[in-house]
Amino acid sequence: MAKVSVLNVAVLENPSPFHSPFRFEISFECSEALADDLEWKIIYVGSAESEEYDQVLDSVLVGPVPAGRHMFVFQADAPNPGLIPETDAVGVTVVLITCTYHGQEFIRVGYYVNNEYPSLELRENPPPKPDFSQLQRNILASNPRVTRFHINWDSQEDRLEAIENQDPVLGCDLSLSYTPVKGLALPGCVPSLLPENSMDCI
Amino acid sequence: MKLLKPTWVNHNGKPIFSVDIHPDGTKFATGGQGQDSGKVVIWNMSPVLQEDDEKDENIPKMLCQMDNHLACVNCVRWSNSGMYLASGGDDKLIMVWKRATYIGPSTVFGSSGKLANVEQWRCVSILRSHSGDVMDVAWSPHDAWLASCSVDNTVVIWNAVKFPEILATLRGHSGLVKGLTWDPVGKYIASQADDRSLKVWRTLDWQLETSITKPFDECGGTTHVLRLSWSPDGHYLVSAHAMNNSGPTAQIIEREGWKTNMDFVGHRKAVTVVKFNPKIFKKKQKNGSSAKPSCPYCCCAVGSKDRSLSVWLTCLKRPLVVIHELFDKSIMDISWTLNGLGILVCSMDGSVAFLDFSQDELGDPLSEEEKSRIHQSTYGKSLAIMTEAQLSTAVIENPEMLKYQRRQQQQQLDQKSATARETASASSVTGVVNGESLEDIRKNLLKKQVETRTADGRRRITPLCIAQLDTGDFSTAFFNSIPLTGSLAGTMLSSHSSQQLLPLDSNTPNSFGASKSCTEPVVATGARPAGESVTKDSMNATSTPAALSPSVLTTPSKIEPMKAFDSRFTERSKATPGAPSLTSVTSTAVERLKDQNLVKELRPRDLLESSSDSDEKVTLAKPSSLSKRKLELEVETVEKKKKGRPRKDSRLLPMSLSVQSPAALTAEKEAMCLSAPALALKLPIPGPQRAFTLQVSSDPSMYIEVENEVTAVGGVKLSRLKCNREGKEWETVLTSRILTAAGSWDVHRQVVVVKEESLHSILAGSDMTVSQILLTQHGIPVMNLSDGKAYCFNPSLSTWNLVSDKQDSLAQCADFRSSLPSQDAMLCSGPLAIIQGRTSNSGRQAARLFSVPHVVQQETTLAYLENQVAAALTLQSSHEYRHWLLLYARYLVNEGFEYRLREICKDLLGPVHCSTGSQWESTVVGLRKRELLKELLPVIGQNLRFQRLFTECQEQLDILRDK
Repeated sequence: MAKVSVLNVAVLENPSPFHSPFRFEISFECSEALADDLEWKIIYVGSAESEEYDQVLDSVLVGPVPAGRHMFVFQADAPNPGLIPETDAVGVTVVLITCTYHGQEFIRVGYYVNNEYPSLELRENPPPKPDFSQLQRNILASNPRVTRFHINWDSQEDRLEAIENQDPVLGCDLSLSYTPVKGLALPGCVPSLLPENSMDCI
Repeated sequence: MKLLKPTWVNHNGKPIFSVDIHPDGTKFATGGQGQDSGKVVIWNMSPVLQEDDEKDENIPKMLCQMDNHLACVNCVRWSNSGMYLASGGDDKLIMVWKRATYIGPSTVFGSSGKLANVEQWRCVSILRSHSGDVMDVAWSPHDAWLASCSVDNTVVIWNAVKFPEILATLRGHSGLVKGLTWDPVGKYIASQADDRSLKVWRTLDWQLETSITKPFDECGGTTHVLRLSWSPDGHYLVSAHAMNNSGPTAQIIEREGWKTNMDFVGHRKAVTVVKFNPKIFKKKQKNGSSAKPSCPYCCCAVGSKDRSLSVWLTCLKRPLVVIHELFDKSIMDISWTLNGLGILVCSMDGSVAFLDFSQDELGDPLSEEEKSRIHQSTYGKSLAIMTEAQLSTAVIENPEMLKYQRRQQQQQLDQKSATARETASASSVTGVVNGESLEDIRKNLLKKQVETRTADGRRRITPLCIAQLDTGDFSTAFFNSIPLTGSLAGTMLSSHSSQQLLPLDSNTPNSFGASKSCTEPVVATGARPAGESVTKDSMNATSTPAALSPSVLTTPSKIEPMKAFDSRFTERSKATPGAPSLTSVTSTAVERLKDQNLVKELRPRDLLESSSDSDEKVTLAKPSSLSKRKLELEVETVEKKKKGRPRKDSRLLPMSLSVQSPAALTAEKEAMCLSAPALALKLPIPGPQRAFTLQVSSDPSMYIEVENEVTAVGGVKLSRLKCNREGKEWETVLTSRILTAAGSWDVHRQVVVVKEESLHSILAGSDMTVSQILLTQHGIPVMNLSDGKAYCFNPSLSTWNLVSDKQDSLAQCADFRSSLPSQDAMLCSGPLAIIQGRTSNSGRQAARLFSVPHVVQQETTLAYLENQVAAALTLQSSHEYRHWLLLYARYLVNEGFEYRLREICKDLLGPVHCSTGSQWESTVVGLRKRELLKELLPVIGQNLRFQRLFTECQEQLDILRDK
């Protein structure tokens, strides 16, 4: 079972200038004390076109994590403008917060981010080369997209098994393919052949 | 009969494998397949029962969903108390859920408020033992055990009082075990498996009672589940899938000789599930019809792979009703409501059906009283001896009683509203940590946050703990189970006694505090958001340089940006830059482990220190544990300290109880020897702050040496005792205490009395040894023997009385848990508890609960409780006397023993009209008897059967008060 569930992610200081750091206040709940740290990452998607432009803004270890509710603030620097394709600098993109345990990602929280010029003038006549110092970043905090993955929380040896277990359809629908061999053989109800308290309404 | 298929009960089209209605009938649980995991959902029952509620949008339909199971959930079952829900699934786990009351409704993050969990159920135990899918789970009739079966061919019996303890693993099936059922009186458990057998196991020794194979010989193919069921009267066990003349049946197995002569026939495919109605019925008495007394009968629902459901009454030869085409796929599980008039059926097709019967159709359900009468007449043991249903017909004769009953109801209401308030204000409760509101914390979180660097330079944040989980139910209730052995027992005793008597030792409360904080180290770590990391902001500037994650996916270039993003939200990054992070994780893990170990090492010491006042003592206590058969003497020393006369008449009273024959005694004061016959032991009175040695010698091979040191300020005396007997030498450390005068105990008298007694009567002819000697705060000497018995000296009778025996069968058979006001009440502290050892033996009791005939059980319980009352009396432990007396009375009330109850009341009340010749004493161990009786009255009032006794006592107490 998932030992850690994210209760809330609050986006702090939003909207803010492009160059100011990202700040997320993350609250999570842990049902059993974790042996190792959690690793959190903020990934800035530079371009929808390709993962090539993804920037890992920061990664941080969080621990120790006993059972209970916890919170922390995850702060990361603004993305490096030099790594963002000029055509994608202005407009909508995505920032992702991921968390991994033992190198396995179990939750991914995504936010749409809108980078635009606050002044009407610049918006109508954007400079040919994006002016990052003028850009304002607005994270659509009200609509996080949360994806959870099942991972193995226990010892490392069991990990392979857990990955096998992740296709539950296999396990559950098995019985559908079976038909009782003899159950079909009862053509109808012949009362005289059946024991006394038989069900004769079939 | 009404039939309803509530379409809103679904797992988004995924199969539902199990359904179970909560005992209070307000909710039900379903288990099955979730999106990419197993899923358990708790639903509200009222929208199923009432159309208005179904339409009312303010009434929630789904109360909680849990997708914690990694794979499909095969079975969900409520405990009989309704407190817990157990679920078992293909991930080989059983999870036990309990409702968390302190958290209000919450939404699942990121689900845009649609999937709000109205109730919070959290997993309190995960039971791991099975090596394959768990197919069925079942709670025993009294919730003492939980059984689970699995495709690993085993059945596991869990101790439900103490998860995750395993009581037994039943091996014997050679195929996948797919169904379980308990006998309603708890004597057997039956399991059915793919190996074409049904096995019945005894709960007495967890061995196989019988294996039934004949009806299953023809069985071929596989059904997903084989949920069998035992009738509520216990007479019949009905199997799932069996065959008779090539036709699928549900085999009826008689308890008497396990005969298999009858079956339910008619389903066209294998029977997957059989479920008996919890009620026993009798024919509806119609006006005008002859009042011919009819036999009570049971009602049973049978579900099959042929997608049809049949409901049978054991008094009819044909089914009451058969419903075809109810589902598109096989029926998987059936659950009756507790009133026996409704059933929920679930199917592999992912839907649920509800059937509502009327009493005209099924008959009149027997009351619980009648049902228990049937059990009692058949098995001598009933499960429900006193139930409210039974009392509802009694007439209340006394206005006082009525008042009392009303008050009780009011209290219950108050409690309910109080818990409601609690949940309502939950957010504010959890929102405060260490007096700071959550808002304040949030404002300063970044500044306060503790951030460190790991060895390889990675940032590591210590999260701030904002709330504890209330999952510790099974452990915290028993946090007192710190082993009370050796010197620790001594210090515990002294800290306890001083807690009750003297507010002398300021450290005493800490001993409890320390043991508590052991279980909650979280607070400590969370509460230390030290201000060191204020300057950490600047560090962020130099934090890890942005790194590109290696791209594996190449997204097509001509995709709408939004759609392109969509995949980014949901797709796990294929390659995590794992190598460096993993190593750092392990290195920090080691670091963390060290930290934890340090804390762990510290804790017990803290505990010792705080409860024993000084460091020296701790170090001194160690050698004592080296000797196995040690003689420990707890010397309670009185210092009568009067103002202006510091320690002038301080007395030291070492007691040497091992003196067995008249012999010369040598008391040594520094270097001085003092000889005296042992029977007239003289007590040396040492000057303050002077160590002395007392030597008692009977013959050359036996002597006791006592060494005392009085510390300068602490008032704590460290004493070392050397005992030499038969050539062997043991050395122990005595913990003794100088107490400021409190109470007026004549220590002298005690000592004198004790000196005159020999231990021959107890120790004669056996090689037992005295393992521990204690002196209670009332000066009653208590002696523990190596065979687990404990005796205390009764000064008025001049005898040694047995107060505790570890092997006492009474203590093990006695079951008075129903009389305990709460689980915590077991843990009444005091000398008696310490002597008897505070291990909770409810598990042991539970293990024997059903194996002993009820009458015997009652007798042993009574005897045990009486012994406890008497022992507490001899020990003069008023606190415990009161505890056990109330418990005894409660048990008498519950079980309906009027005569004994009356005796107690009579004694407590005493003569109402003063007569000079009365032997009656108004107090017992310092408690006023009539006050005790007043405390007893509400207990008596709980059972309407005793309302006359209640009235009598009440009236006479009033008369006395008016005088």
